[in-house]
Amino acid sequence: MPDKLIVSTSPHILGCDLTPKVMWSVIGALIPAAIASVIIFGMPSVKIMAVAVFTCVACEALIQKLTGRAVTIHDGSAALTGLLLAFNLSSNVPFWIPLVGGIFAIALVKHAFGGLGANVFNPALAARAFLLASWPTHMTAFTRPFAADAVTSATPLMMFKEGKVGTLVEMGISYWDLFLGRRGGCLGEVCIIALVCGAAYLLWKRYIWWQTPFSFILTTGSLCWIFGARGYFQGDFLFSILSGGLILGAFFMATDYVTTPLAHTGQVFFGVGCGVLTFLIRKFGGYPEGVSYSILIMNAFVPLIDRYVKPKIYGTAKAVKG
Amino acid sequence: MDFARIMTIAVSMIFINNFILSKFLGLCPFLGVSKETKPAVSMGLAVIFVMTCSAVITWSIYNYLLIPFGITYLRTITFILVIAAFVQLIEMVIRKFSLALYRSLGIYLPLITTNCAVLGVTILNVDDFFIQGKPIPGSFFFATLQAFFAGVGFLLALIIMSGIRERLELTDVPPSMQGIPIAFIVASLMSLAFMGFSGFKF
Amino acid sequence: MKRLLHEFTKGITIENPTFGLILGLCPTLAVSTSLGNAIGMGAAATFVLVCSNTIVSSVRRIIPDRIRLPAFIVIIATFVTMCELIMKAYAPALDVSLGIFVPLIVVNCIIMARAEAFACKHGVGASIFDGLGMGVGFTLGLCVIASVREILGAGSIAGKQLIPGFQPATVLILAPGALATLGLLIALSNLMKSKKSTCRACRKGGCG
Repeated sequence: MPDKLIVSTSPHILGCDLTPKVMWSVIGALIPAAIASVIIFGMPSVKIMAVAVFTCVACEALIQKLTGRAVTIHDGSAALTGLLLAFNLSSNVPFWIPLVGGIFAIALVKHAFGGLGANVFNPALAARAFLLASWPTHMTAFTRPFAADAVTSATPLMMFKEGKVGTLVEMGISYWDLFLGRRGGCLGEVCIIALVCGAAYLLWKRYIWWQTPFSFILTTGSLCWIFGARGYFQGDFLFSILSGGLILGAFFMATDYVTTPLAHTGQVFFGVGCGVLTFLIRKFGGYPEGVSYSILIMNAFVPLIDRYVKPKIYGTAKAVKG
Repeated sequence: MDFARIMTIAVSMIFINNFILSKFLGLCPFLGVSKETKPAVSMGLAVIFVMTCSAVITWSIYNYLLIPFGITYLRTITFILVIAAFVQLIEMVIRKFSLALYRSLGIYLPLITTNCAVLGVTILNVDDFFIQGKPIPGSFFFATLQAFFAGVGFLLALIIMSGIRERLELTDVPPSMQGIPIAFIVASLMSLAFMGFSGFKF
Repeated sequence: MKRLLHEFTKGITIENPTFGLILGLCPTLAVSTSLGNAIGMGAAATFVLVCSNTIVSSVRRIIPDRIRLPAFIVIIATFVTMCELIMKAYAPALDVSLGIFVPLIVVNCIIMARAEAFACKHGVGASIFDGLGMGVGFTLGLCVIASVREILGAGSIAGKQLIPGFQPATVLILAPGALATLGLLIALSNLMKSKKSTCRACRKGGCG
């Protein structure tokens, strides 16, 4: 019996033409950061991004063909997953890392759940966690920026974690370096200024809302400022925000429509939760950076947050967020 | 008791060595009762209670009965009987005194008897907190704490899982993935996310 | 004879504990890190299963119905303790790598389920074959999962390196890999079943 009423999870309003528009806009907003990563890390960056995007799109098309569903690769969601996955990789990973990661992200994290809109976890981040658990040596060997001979170097957070250096001066970098991306790190996370430009565009177009990113960044920053160093209120607020993947994660991955709360109050909870977890992992955990794990962990809580913090159904001025 | 040790046990039992997601103990109730949040919470609370009490009882029996008489090889058989008897007793007591509590928690008690997580935590306690047949300092306290936090970790995993599974009811999961397989995939991804806590030190 | 053979084969095929009945998952996931562990665990569980089925079946008319379950637990726990002691004496390395999952065979739902669902209703002969079939089925299920995990996660099979230069995905040896592998294999077996027949009830299974 064909059902007239289709019961499905949110987002409901994102109809046939809004999804591609949002997805391609987000990809557009990531272009500056992509260009910056090519400038900073050179050709390997192009290769990794190309492999990741191609794998994700091809994998999505293949799965949709095999399961007899409509092929929806033109909506840009698979390409976005691929790009975000590449952004979360170091520049000297071998080519099969984005390949395996892309297949994992699309097949297991997205389509096993039923495709776009059904996945619980962020595909790109889950793939990163999978790769990090599988090939930790490849995933944590970062290249020094502007180095043709692929010299490995630690990220600022790794140096901070090891405890050998406590201040920026000792690391030999300035806030300006962090802002422009002159540091070791993942492809997409280093150039803060490019990311902020993209994020500003998305905020202006109202494709993303400020609640999650700002609560996320402020929570992490404040906690690192208060408890990050030996004494209270001795931590470095700016350093904790600019180093690591906080800006990329907060603006582009913690704002994913599918895997984050619908209501603005819920988004604040989500952001604060991510911030607290990020701080805890940075301060006490085994990994130097906790942004991706904290978003993944909070992804798991989203159905519960959504249940207890219901979105306003009527009366919100612009319901684009759906 | 030093705070750091307590925190380490808590974080380890709740996140890093979560009984369901990393030690694979108690998967059956995890899959069976995680379809809705309400029963999941009840089940989780019942497990916390039974685990903590079982840890207290089995620790005492091990220390004051099995070790003095040199019959530690009867550990498994003693523990499972004690747990089964204890759960039966609790069930009868609850049914007698509070029917409301029995309806919300009691019906899960028989399920807990054969829950490997309860037996698992008591055996782990004996392995961890006894060295060559002698309890380490603070052994009883740590054993109780370990059992309690293992239960909390169980509850946490159960609650998260039930939220996700309620949501999955509404999505278009491929037919062959529905039910148990997708539950395992979710558990796998949760376990992957919880790996972020590995190496926690206080 | 034909009936006995049927009791034996059903545990391996349609009522396979791992993929059909979805029972005994905890040890399945925990010890399937390598093929050696899987075979050791399978053998131990088969031993306990056959012995407990035999005893339960032979005393089924003596035990009052009300104390049935405690009696089963005692019988099973006795054999598990025997198994534990034998393993400690003759295979100490295996005992260490299986860890607490040897004593936990007591609460392996397959054994309890067979005692309750089969052995206490059937004769000794049928029960032995049922136990044997279930045990072999469980071992095979374990071996399939362990092979997948060991080949992809450690690049070896039963401890032997397969392809030099292959960089294995360590995560498959870890907890997330175990859960995902089992999930995908059950999905695969569902897929094959649904190709054969529309066995929709199978995937609704699970114990507890």
